[in-house]
Amino acid sequence: MYPAPIDEYVRPATVADALAALGRYDEGDAVFVAGGQSLMQAVKARLVRPRCLIDLQAVDGLSGIDVGADGVRIGPMTRYAEIARDERLTGACAALRDAAQRVGDRQVRNRGTIGGSLCWNYVAACMPPTAIGLGAELELTAADGGTRTLAAEDFIGGPLETAREENEILTAITIPAAKGSAGSAYKKWGLVTDALPVIGVCVALEAADGRCTSARVAVGGLANGPTRSGAAEEALVGVDAGDGDGIAAALAKAAGEIETQEDLWADSDYRKQLIRSLGAEVTATAFARAAG
Amino acid sequence: MSTTTITVTINGEVFEETVPVRMLLVDFIRERAALTGTHIGCTYEGVCGACTVQIDGEAVKSCLMVAAQADGHEITTVEGLAQGGELSPLQRAFNEQHALQCGYCTPGILMNMDEFLRENPDPTDDEIRHGLVGNLCRCTGYAHIVDAVRQAAKETR
Amino acid sequence: MTGTSEGWVGSHFHRKEDHRLITGKGRFLADIARPAALHIVFKRSDHAHATIESVDVSAAKAMAGVVAVVTGDDIKDEILPMPQPVVQPALPATYPKHWPLAVGKVKWHGEPVAAVIARDPYVAADAAEAIEVDYDPLPYVGDAESALADGATIVHEDWPDNIIFQMDFTGGADEESQRAHEAKVQEVFDSADIVIKQRFTCHRCGVAPMETRGALFEWDESDGLTGWLTTQRPHIDRLALSDILEIPAEKIRIIAPRDQGGGFGVKAPFYREPMLIAYMAKKLGRPVRWIETRQEHLMAVSQERDQIHDLEVAAASDGKLLAIRDRGLADCGDGCEGVYWGFLMPFLGAVELPNAYDWPIGDIKVKVAITNKSALSPARAFGEFPTRFAMERAIDMVAKRCGMEPADVRRKNLVATLPHMSITNEYFDSGDFIKVWDNLMAEADLPGFRASQAEARAEGRYLGIGFGLGVELSGVASELFVPMENQPGYGAATVRLDPRGKVLVFEGDAPGGQGHETTVAQAVAHSFGIHPNDVVVTTGDTGTTPFGSGTVGARAGSYFVSAAVQACEFLKEKIARIMAHDLALAEASPADFSFADGFVTYQKDANIKKTFREAVERVIMAPINLPEGESGGLEHTAFFEAEKPMIAFNADVCTVEVDIETGQFKILSWTTSEDVGQIINPQIVEGQMQGAIVQGLSNTMFEEFVYDENGQQLTADFENYKLATAADVPDIKVTHAPTPCPYTPLGSRGIGEGRPSDVPGTLCNAICDALGPFGIEITDLPLRPDSLWRKIQAARGAS
Ligand SMILES: Cc1cc2nc3c(=O)[nH]c(=O)nc-3n(C[C@H](O)[C@H](O)[C@H](O)COP(=O)(O)OP(=O)(O)OC[C@H]3O[C@@H](n4cnc5c(N)ncnc54)[C@H](O)[C@@H]3O)c2cc1C
Ligand code: FES
Ligand code: FES
Repeated sequence: MYPAPIDEYVRPATVADALAALGRYDEGDAVFVAGGQSLMQAVKARLVRPRCLIDLQAVDGLSGIDVGADGVRIGPMTRYAEIARDERLTGACAALRDAAQRVGDRQVRNRGTIGGSLCWNYVAACMPPTAIGLGAELELTAADGGTRTLAAEDFIGGPLETAREENEILTAITIPAAKGSAGSAYKKWGLVTDALPVIGVCVALEAADGRCTSARVAVGGLANGPTRSGAAEEALVGVDAGDGDGIAAALAKAAGEIETQEDLWADSDYRKQLIRSLGAEVTATAFARAAG
Repeated sequence: MSTTTITVTINGEVFEETVPVRMLLVDFIRERAALTGTHIGCTYEGVCGACTVQIDGEAVKSCLMVAAQADGHEITTVEGLAQGGELSPLQRAFNEQHALQCGYCTPGILMNMDEFLRENPDPTDDEIRHGLVGNLCRCTGYAHIVDAVRQAAKETR
Repeated sequence: MTGTSEGWVGSHFHRKEDHRLITGKGRFLADIARPAALHIVFKRSDHAHATIESVDVSAAKAMAGVVAVVTGDDIKDEILPMPQPVVQPALPATYPKHWPLAVGKVKWHGEPVAAVIARDPYVAADAAEAIEVDYDPLPYVGDAESALADGATIVHEDWPDNIIFQMDFTGGADEESQRAHEAKVQEVFDSADIVIKQRFTCHRCGVAPMETRGALFEWDESDGLTGWLTTQRPHIDRLALSDILEIPAEKIRIIAPRDQGGGFGVKAPFYREPMLIAYMAKKLGRPVRWIETRQEHLMAVSQERDQIHDLEVAAASDGKLLAIRDRGLADCGDGCEGVYWGFLMPFLGAVELPNAYDWPIGDIKVKVAITNKSALSPARAFGEFPTRFAMERAIDMVAKRCGMEPADVRRKNLVATLPHMSITNEYFDSGDFIKVWDNLMAEADLPGFRASQAEARAEGRYLGIGFGLGVELSGVASELFVPMENQPGYGAATVRLDPRGKVLVFEGDAPGGQGHETTVAQAVAHSFGIHPNDVVVTTGDTGTTPFGSGTVGARAGSYFVSAAVQACEFLKEKIARIMAHDLALAEASPADFSFADGFVTYQKDANIKKTFREAVERVIMAPINLPEGESGGLEHTAFFEAEKPMIAFNADVCTVEVDIETGQFKILSWTTSEDVGQIINPQIVEGQMQGAIVQGLSNTMFEEFVYDENGQQLTADFENYKLATAADVPDIKVTHAPTPCPYTPLGSRGIGEGRPSDVPGTLCNAICDALGPFGIEITDLPLRPDSLWRKIQAARGAS
């Protein structure tokens, strides 16, 4: 409905100013707003009652996609719409576009950011499993100007939980360059088109001569937060692109080891089925992309 | 109540207003600028799209922002679509294809599709339907809306 | 596009209401501003069933900007309780007493407990949050079956049980005749080749228009109460408010805004909130305004369906239907809702259960139970969404047992000659069901589909085709409406001619997107031979319009338009009489004058004519030298009541492809065949049908109100109460096989209200057809991939 009273709105121009504004308030009283597509829902529902909104829209250097030899570097304020239309994001990074193109709707993609998605880590969000699947690394900057880098899977915890310290801001997401031919894909299923997914699966793999040499399989839409399936990753190694049975067997392992929950949209068995069917589909796509 | 002073351009008209920090952009547009073509259909979830306006040319949901976030930006609402009393091709197509019934969803759809057609001047029906996901319409069943967007695309190309 | 002066009825005239709506100039309730209006925010119950121990409003009252805070105890001696006769059906039911705010206890999660009135809506919300209510929880009565179980907690404590309404629709009024009738039906079942016995359940879901409810009331000592209200029936609201607040009716004016963001039934009841808002506006002497939040809307209203049917069908092995038996049970919530009381929907659903099939005999009974949920409120396909789902599925099950095409079983059993009286005493006035059906079958190309289905199946793909059909009420005749809702069924229209030759039409009903301004302008322009742009339509203002029972039950195309045409005919006669007199045409009768192309012409000598404007101006502005007994002025109000209750008819076919690995499916096509009688505006008719079918699909596949085991409503936002998006539904092809209705002046029928009702059956029939190899029968809604997947899994495991 309406937000609870808010005392202050600030629009810092630098990371340092943003962190300084944060420091002026007690923990939780000041919050960053990126695209606001999750935060404002919570603020309007009065689940979050900030005293100060720190709007990151004008912070220098937080937006944009750099594609270089050692990988891709994405500013946290980069919006879904920008990722969705960036044709340089192919092969190993293609899953990012898959996910961004299908987040919510046009309006949400025009404002929502990759950084906001990762820092909010909603149970059904698309970017957290994608970042984990792609082996992304997240750079956090603290109030003292120091930075640390965490693997996405170390940053992302259970739903709405991350390893971000209260005085930190996410300043970059990097996806290291793949060694050989690599491909990735993400796909989700929800009851209505492009809705927050019941299950979303990201598979990233490297292949040589059409045979998988390494793979990462990450699943979102889980009560425990986005999860990798080690068993599926292992099983995929050595599987040929055209080996439907091998792919299915690997994803069956993922469905077997990942704990799934029941909610309004699906019971736990159906979630496992989605892991199998979506997983097989994205694996095939990832193989195709690895082949170029 | 804590306030802040913002300057927002809406349909070319500059508004400098002191507003409560928590005032939602949609309320600013409706109450302060008295432009009531922008509608509200959700509590907090931001799903229906009735409040869609363009900020710097991009379709966004004005219920998911405080007005202060729009400070310094250019907003276009449905009232700004027709130029010099002349309906835009999209607006005309909505009338000709009977793409609205109650019309409550229509302003939001127009603001979204107006940008959509700039981005994709020759869309397929599937692309139009996909582009409309952020706008719920309870009356039309969407078929005539798709017809109207297709007609506007054809006329504009 | 344009029509000719003879051709406005049936022409592709682009809607008159659109211009304002596409330029942002619509005037919806929330757009109406009154100076210094106060804002009301309700504090709603957190519990499904609990005694209210105390309500502490002190913190709320102390907030700057708060003008008043009220609780149930504050108003229970000031406002008369419901029920009041004008919003109470004449059916034998128990009507729960209630006030706008809960008194003593709360009966559902979301029931209004208190209200804050403040100068600013944000502050009103802050203050509502600050109200502290102390509850003592009571056992939650969560569904109809447990509500009727022995030892169930009684929700309305002064009642003997939780039954609000029950009825035998086929066995007569007394026990003895009912028992005899049951035995007769049993005999048919005993000797039938085939008996299908199945429980069908339909979940709670409804309409949720894009505009929520709202109200704005102001009080003035001399004029009384003026209220702007989102409503489909302003005249009834006015009478009900008069009774409840004990304000003389002539001191109340209710205005339904010209633009309403959809109604579909949910804006038809007389709700609790407006009572309180009107009362507070009077008490404070200041305007008070309420805009319902989506959360309130989804908690409090838009919830319908929620029926269980134990249905039995007896049939011969050749597919001839012999008898039906149904025991319906509906979960009506707490029933505290004026006009409908949560049970009128299941009542009408049972009436319409037999559908268009020619049943020799049937035994149909319904019970409606009170539970701790919000009262069912009407939704398009009023009550019949569940019964039609059950019936259309049952027909396919019969076909399967007979080894016949479901399409053939349908055609064989359609009522072949009309008029017809159904076994539940629903009168089918006119039309040609077989013609509509055959038109559909020509579209469907069943043999062609069966061939491609077989091909696809050989490739491991599962295609299916499904059929369904429906008889819908075309308006509600007084004969049914007076007993059902204690309200008249006639349509009313005032037609006022302007001296300049333009026409003003006043309608007491209150549309919400159906295009009345255009449809009636076309009908009136057609009648007078002028242009629809010269017709201005005013709706929904009790201060200026004739009494009407509301925009409900597809009354517009049937009753309202007919009333307008009747009024036009009356005025034309008068104009013609006076013109004959003026021209000294002693032999001329009014029928000798034609109204076309802006002229009134003496047909026996086409040189004798006047412009419409001259003819009208003469009567209004120069009322001298009139024929004897004639007076000046041109205005007439007509009340149209058809000789007979009327219907419209449709049939649908859809095709689907099901992915048996996931239970996910895609609707490949949807085609309809309609008898809407004479079409007034083809685009508007098509839009109504497409919109209704998509609502039906959305209800079937996505929408569901879910309460947890303690009665907490889990689906009070659009993220959880999911509506179909454009990408979720197919294009819909609408075709026509009309028979003009003989009982309306234009031959038109009312359409659109019941139209979603055959959708769930049609879709589920297609899915079951696709999954024929697995022998799956869908018997409960919603239709979700996960449950379908489980059924497929079970069938594959078994085979
Ligand atoms: C209708 C609708 C549909 C949606 N559908 C989907 C969907 O299908 N899939 C999906 O994944 N998501 C979906 N979302 C959520 C959407 O993706 C959000 O945009 C995203 O989760 C948050 O990004 P944001 O930029 O809007 O962040 P905000 O909402 O502004 O912020 C989210 C959180 O991140 C914090 N934060 C933001 N940036 C930083 C930073 N740089 N450093 C530290 N903290 C930061 C904020 O303080 C806040 O706590 C949907 C949302 C809506 C409204
Ligand atoms: S009101 Fe903004 S999306 Fe519904
Ligand atoms: S036209 Fe009514 S909601 Fe779209």
